[in-house]
Amino acid sequence: MFARVLWRLLRGNSGRLSVALVALISGSAVISALLNLQLDVERRLAQEFRTLGANLLIAPASGGQFADSGGAAATLMDEQGAMTAVAALSQSDVAAAAPFLYLRARAGGTQTVVAGTHLRELQKLEPSWKINGDWREPEDNSGRCIVGQAAARILHATPGSELTLNYLGRAAKVRVLGIVESGAEQDSQVFVELPVAQTLAGTPHQIGLVQLSVNSAPQAMAIIEAQLRAALPGAEVMPIRQVTDAEVRLLGRIRLLIASMVILILVLTALCVLATMAALAMERREDVGLMKALGGPISRIVALFLAEVSVLGAVGGLIGCLAGVALSIWMGRRVFGAAISPRWEILPLTVALMVAVALAGALPLRLLGRVKPAAILRGE
Amino acid sequence: MFARLVGESFARNPRRKILTAAALVVGMAVATATLTIALEVGDRLAEEFRSLGANLVVTPQSDTLPVEIGGVDFRPVDEGAYLHESDLGKLKTIFWRHHILGFTPFLDVPVSIAADGEKTPARTTLIGTWYQHDVPVPDDAPFRTGAASTHPWWKLKEGRWFADGAEECVLGATFAAKHAGEISIGSSLRIDATTSETSEKQTAATLTVVGIVSTGGAEDNAILAPLSVAQALSGHPGELRQLFVSALTKPADALAERDPKTMTPTEYDKWFCSPYISSISFQITSVLPGTDVRAIRRVADTEGRVLTRVGTLLWIVTLAALIAAGLAVAATSATTVIERRSEVGIMKAIGATNALVAGIFLAEQLMLAVIGGLLGYVLGTGLARVLGSSVFGSPASPRIVLLPVVLGLASLVAIAGSLIPLRRAARFDPAPILRGE
Repeated sequence: MFARVLWRLLRGNSGRLSVALVALISGSAVISALLNLQLDVERRLAQEFRTLGANLLIAPASGGQFADSGGAAATLMDEQGAMTAVAALSQSDVAAAAPFLYLRARAGGTQTVVAGTHLRELQKLEPSWKINGDWREPEDNSGRCIVGQAAARILHATPGSELTLNYLGRAAKVRVLGIVESGAEQDSQVFVELPVAQTLAGTPHQIGLVQLSVNSAPQAMAIIEAQLRAALPGAEVMPIRQVTDAEVRLLGRIRLLIASMVILILVLTALCVLATMAALAMERREDVGLMKALGGPISRIVALFLAEVSVLGAVGGLIGCLAGVALSIWMGRRVFGAAISPRWEILPLTVALMVAVALAGALPLRLLGRVKPAAILRGE
Repeated sequence: MFARLVGESFARNPRRKILTAAALVVGMAVATATLTIALEVGDRLAEEFRSLGANLVVTPQSDTLPVEIGGVDFRPVDEGAYLHESDLGKLKTIFWRHHILGFTPFLDVPVSIAADGEKTPARTTLIGTWYQHDVPVPDDAPFRTGAASTHPWWKLKEGRWFADGAEECVLGATFAAKHAGEISIGSSLRIDATTSETSEKQTAATLTVVGIVSTGGAEDNAILAPLSVAQALSGHPGELRQLFVSALTKPADALAERDPKTMTPTEYDKWFCSPYISSISFQITSVLPGTDVRAIRRVADTEGRVLTRVGTLLWIVTLAALIAAGLAVAATSATTVIERRSEVGIMKAIGATNALVAGIFLAEQLMLAVIGGLLGYVLGTGLARVLGSSVFGSPASPRIVLLPVVLGLASLVAIAGSLIPLRRAARFDPAPILRGE
């Protein structure tokens, strides 16, 4: 009986109910899209900040962190030990990790800083650098280098030309792959593959520094630091505060900004749906008046209405949520150039919210129970 | 007659209008608040990005290469070219001078240090810089700048900063820890600088340690002293090696990437008068001839990308807010019109044309929209102030430009919301409506 009346109500009133349904669908679409975006935005922005380059250094404890490996006093660390410790970290938190060995070598007649590293990792470590030439090159030869633009100007290096590096009587010939522009001190350095620098320095399997670009959320950073310290007791693990401080601060600001805007819109959308449902409820006042005049329980009418709006809320919430997921995928493409992975835990949340708001809309109907039926039936 | 009809209709039975009015006020308040924030966020975030420090570096054009690892120059002091300290005030005379937030000169001197009574000297680098320094600006008040404004992540662990121009120094944290036994705050250090590997000329200074600083960078292994001390030690009075500039810039777009030489005069004017990092560095080069001004790509690139991303994101969120606000208003005005179908029936029964009925209703909605929009604007401006101060620490300034926008938007959605039910009402036969069917 109840179900039949409910079905008749839903079918018979399709015009009025469709207004409410549109409000519910658009409301839940906006809510689910924004929630989805909000959950993903921080991860995406943290990735954007990785263009800042390294934010963590591992250096031998006793030496200067950028020790020139040539001098007798210079302290180095074992390449394999350090890189094993880095490889043991959670890989999703590490954007890039490159070992470095610095030499003050001569190229031609000019003293220059030669940095031995893995060029492939260097590219991941410094995505902001502008390169004239190409990072990629068939794997076979290690005799390649990348030259900073200031160094290139003085050494007359162009992509494809050759450089001869001299250090303590040893020499190495490298071919220039590309010229990089960093705007920082790296503009005056020459980057070669690590084995070349190690041979040149006469310190095989030794490195002076590891630069890491890692997830800089304070908790993740603390875990990474602790893991590295435990694995490498002889080394110093230093966050680059210029980068980490600014990043945490900026991400915090942006997160707060987006969250406050999203909350504002959520409240507005919920209010909008509530108002529509309240208006829908007010249309039942004559039914309530009639029922009261007949001496019947108004709870029957309220129950019918509640059942009606729950069905509406569930249907609207579901359709809207699907639309919202599609919307958030579009937003992700528009903002970050990559689709946002939908979070399905939002679906029950949004549907529940919609049903709750729709039910809350029935409150004024409850209050009508107190007034005199005659006034309602007269249309006042 | 029409005006009276509208007035009567508006004044009577206020309960029915409250819902629409409330929706208008809330919707427009949110629209105003989000628009205000969206308009302001670019500038505010660009300021926040200055916590990353300098985004431009000025170096002399020279024929020797800086031998620089980890921010410390290992070149002997008599090699390479220098910048002149007396020229720095000119930075505050360029077109975008108000966008130059600060600049800090650096002069690194390799030194050996001995504490009182210590026999073996320690070798390190003395970094000459400004912490807070008043730079004379031509035709203007002096500009106070230095590491305090360009290197905000430098944190003093103990003691205080050196006074500008005094014979004092601050130790890097790692250096201080390594020499904890011999050197502490208050001890005086004898500093010897060998100006060249070959020459016998030696300069020396005696500095008092006044503090210990932690920078999280290469400076932790060095000692920091006033620029004038480093100049005296290196034998280069009034000169410096590098200048870090922190400038407020606009994210680069297609115009900013282009070579100014290939631009038409109008494009060039537009480029010159936009605070792009490329135009600011061009203007610095023109007041400091013989220098290389480079954008630090890590900082500039990240800033540009993040600002563009957040800007787009915020506009999309604002769009969502506008749509939600529009829907709220449209939905409520639709329901109020539906509720008043019996009024429409009576009016039509006594001979009103469809146009007259629609006119009365729309005029009423417009009045509501103006009142609701005004209240919403006031409320939204307040909301933006609160939001601004909670997110950025200072309230967002109200934008009067938004008032007509918000009023127009309110009228648009209120009318759009009532049009559909009005069109349906026009098709009704008055008789069944009046019978309540």
